[in-house]
Amino acid sequence: MLKLIVQRLLALVPLLFIVSVLTFSFTSLLPSDPVDLIIGDAGTQEQYEMVRHRLGLDEPVHLRYLQWLGRAVQGDLGTSFFNSVSVTGAVMQRLPVTLSLTVMSAIIAIVIGVAAGVAAALRPRSWIDRFATLGATFGQAVPNFWFGLILVAIFAVNLRWFPATGFTPLTQSPWEWLRSVILPSIALGTSSSAAIARQVRSAMVGVLQQDYIRAARAQGLPFRRVIFRHALTNAMVPVVAVLSFQITVLLGGALIVEQVFAINGLGTLAIGAVRQQDIPMLQGLVLVMVALVVAVQLATDVIYGLINPKARPS
Amino acid sequence: MSIDTKTMPQALPSGRRRPGGAPVLIGIAVAVLLLLALLAVFAEWVAPYDPLRQSLMEALQGPSTAHWLGTDDLGRDVLSRLIYGCRIAVIAAAEATTIAVLLGVPIGLFIGYRGGLWDWIVMRIVEAVVSIPGIMVAIVIIAILGAGLHRAMIALGILFSTSFLRLARGVVLAEREEVYVRSARVVGASDSRILMRHIFPNIAPPLIVQVTLTVGAVLLAEAGLSFIGLGVQPPQASWGTMLNTAAAFMDFNWFLSVPPGIAIILTVLSVNLLGDVLRDSIGRGIAVDADPRAPAARYAAELPATAASAPVPRRDDEILRVEHLQVMVPGRAGGEVPVITDLSLSIGRGETLGLVGESGSGKTLTGLAILGLLGAGVRATHGSIELNGRDLRTLPRSGLEEVRGNEVAMVFQDPTTSLNPAFTVGSQIAEVLRVKQGLGRRQAWARSVELIDRVGIPRPAERAGAYPHELSGGMAQRVAIARALSCNPSLLIADEPTTALDVTVQQEILDLFRDLQDEFGMAILFVTHDLAVAADICDRVGVMYAGEMVEMAGVDALFADPRHPYTSGLLSAMPHASDRNPPLPTIRGNVPRPGTWPLGCRFADRCDFRIAACDRRIPLTGSRRQVRCVRAGEPELEAAS
Ligand code: SF4
Repeated sequence: MLKLIVQRLLALVPLLFIVSVLTFSFTSLLPSDPVDLIIGDAGTQEQYEMVRHRLGLDEPVHLRYLQWLGRAVQGDLGTSFFNSVSVTGAVMQRLPVTLSLTVMSAIIAIVIGVAAGVAAALRPRSWIDRFATLGATFGQAVPNFWFGLILVAIFAVNLRWFPATGFTPLTQSPWEWLRSVILPSIALGTSSSAAIARQVRSAMVGVLQQDYIRAARAQGLPFRRVIFRHALTNAMVPVVAVLSFQITVLLGGALIVEQVFAINGLGTLAIGAVRQQDIPMLQGLVLVMVALVVAVQLATDVIYGLINPKARPS
Repeated sequence: MSIDTKTMPQALPSGRRRPGGAPVLIGIAVAVLLLLALLAVFAEWVAPYDPLRQSLMEALQGPSTAHWLGTDDLGRDVLSRLIYGCRIAVIAAAEATTIAVLLGVPIGLFIGYRGGLWDWIVMRIVEAVVSIPGIMVAIVIIAILGAGLHRAMIALGILFSTSFLRLARGVVLAEREEVYVRSARVVGASDSRILMRHIFPNIAPPLIVQVTLTVGAVLLAEAGLSFIGLGVQPPQASWGTMLNTAAAFMDFNWFLSVPPGIAIILTVLSVNLLGDVLRDSIGRGIAVDADPRAPAARYAAELPATAASAPVPRRDDEILRVEHLQVMVPGRAGGEVPVITDLSLSIGRGETLGLVGESGSGKTLTGLAILGLLGAGVRATHGSIELNGRDLRTLPRSGLEEVRGNEVAMVFQDPTTSLNPAFTVGSQIAEVLRVKQGLGRRQAWARSVELIDRVGIPRPAERAGAYPHELSGGMAQRVAIARALSCNPSLLIADEPTTALDVTVQQEILDLFRDLQDEFGMAILFVTHDLAVAADICDRVGVMYAGEMVEMAGVDALFADPRHPYTSGLLSAMPHASDRNPPLPTIRGNVPRPGTWPLGCRFADRCDFRIAACDRRIPLTGSRRQVRCVRAGEPELEAAS
């Protein structure tokens, strides 16, 4: 297993490198001059040169990249052009917020998705099967932020069960944290849960036809044990293989759903950075997101190896 | 737990889904998209108000006769803005999709055709882009280009071009290998001509499907970007910006969020549905769903009153006793079709009863019926299955689970599929011991290793930790046997346990069965289509044909003196090692499928001895030797066999 992890980690290094080159070169293409934006129209030539030098923009692109990379590997993603805060600090401050939404919605998506998928597979064409299929169809068509709005209308505005906006850190109050993330997480996770349910269903239907399931039952193992241990373990193999994709989708969705609930996470940071053309902030954000995606991929790879012995390097 | 597809080629209705869903839905989808297009073109004429006309006196009103969908924070008419939003949606989808195609397809074609360094570099970039959440990619591109409808759509076009790029590259790579491309190159056609003439027609179908998928995704992405203020800019009316407004005034008029949401959902649903239809029709060519006609009237789905068969004589050492068993499967044309009828048999302690017959005769299903594992929709409707004096058919599920493993166990045909690929073989045996016999973890493991040793696997402790795919077929079957015997059952059902194995291994496994029977004393129901195997291992043999027992006798008697024409046919088709001459041709025709059985003798259509009396139900007669044929024992048949 350790070998697998090391293998995957090594394979991910080039990806991170390419992404960093891409974002760096793309953000260097910004049409407007950030220095102009900072000093405004009234700035003198002298001020201009000074700011330009302070930001390091007077050096050639490749040198800037190497300097940035050198600091990035040490965890320093540079300084915002605008309020001189450290990018790493700003991102790290928002990260728990977005992570809360992503993790929570992933849990919702997986739990509901697996449960519904198994139930649908056990009773093809029952109401739960139809419901899961319908849910998957709608899940592809309903914008999650709109679903969030509807949830707010029902549960926050009318029923007042949950706060309509804001975020409470987990460390401050676990209960309030849960109340603040539950609606956005449902908004985010529901469509993924339908997608996962569909995958689980089709995998499960296939697995249930396998001889080893009938063999396990012929051996007198209890039905539940056969379904949840013997069948589900195998049915999850193809599902886990695409799970990291679903979580990436959730991470992206979180950026938008944050806005519905006025939650100050990475999405808000990113939108602000675009408005202000804050290059270091954007670069840092992209890199952190890729790192997150990579971590998720690694985790799902490990789980994949655990439940699918054939995938382990021998 | 469906039934064995090998024995049931057509019984279960497949998860049938008509291509593309109901025609009504398709009609609705087309209507929605047509309406969208019309509203987009004729917005000026249709919309009751100017979408930008503000009237602060009328702000945030609910639906009324003046404003059907109410007004927003600036008193603008929601319905009018919704209608103008159609135009934005159409423009957005068209722009982004066109850009994605125009960017992705040529690059994909190029790198697919050239390969090499270009391909490598571009694909690494594509991989990097798709590893980032799509919305973040769009945000970065918008940071470069600036916000606004057209710029945001360029961003989405670039983002979605990756899927077209991969699609085009994939098609080129596949087609490049095709013979006709190679032959065209030999003739001297230029590269571009090859691309144009051969590859393009193959790209068109998946491209069309991908376009519909992209249109749906673009509509959602546009709404999302406009919602966060990076797409369409206010005051212009788009569904996304309307939702942005709605979010801000949630507390005052939550209804504002409903109309644009419904518009988005309806549109995307319609596009996706049409995409599904296209994918299905393109994927399958012109799909012909050849519905099998209902069985001809001459053949009965219902059973005629069964002529009484002779009862199976009771014996003292009886382990299993099956009487008049009938099993039904769901028919294709609805209703149920019998697959096993009037099946009776008994097995004594330490005895091996062979069940032979061609595939489709119901012999495997008989084994599963005893275990109560027939599968979805398949059910035993009649008769009794007594194991150690208890009727299994009357037991509740928990009672049956108790019996399985402890009193009866099964070995399947293919050991590589009957062992769970996710667990080590040792743990699969240990699990049974822990669940069924309550052994502790260590005890169970130690016993598993013992059992693995007992079935003749060298280095058992090490092999116990192996996964099924790491073992050879013969080894895996030994493990499966060890698992089946772990709780010392009184009956072992072996379903073609040597068929999937190498010929050299077959004999070893048969020897193992004999050894183990001597040691454990279990009775064996040995299902096989191989008469030589049956002759080798069985004490008695039952011959099955079209769901019923046609002959049952001691192994020597059966092989020396077959009484049923079908048995004779099987025996004469059997190759003998000693024979100089090739075996006689097999019996003409095929086993009739369930639901198409003749009313009288089911073998009649293939029988050379058929007479008028064969056209009514034939009972199984005799006691020690049983046979189901009106002419059994006649000298004419004797001579023929
Ligand atoms: S009953 Fe008639 S048709 Fe059937 S096997 Fe005997 S002779 Fe042939």
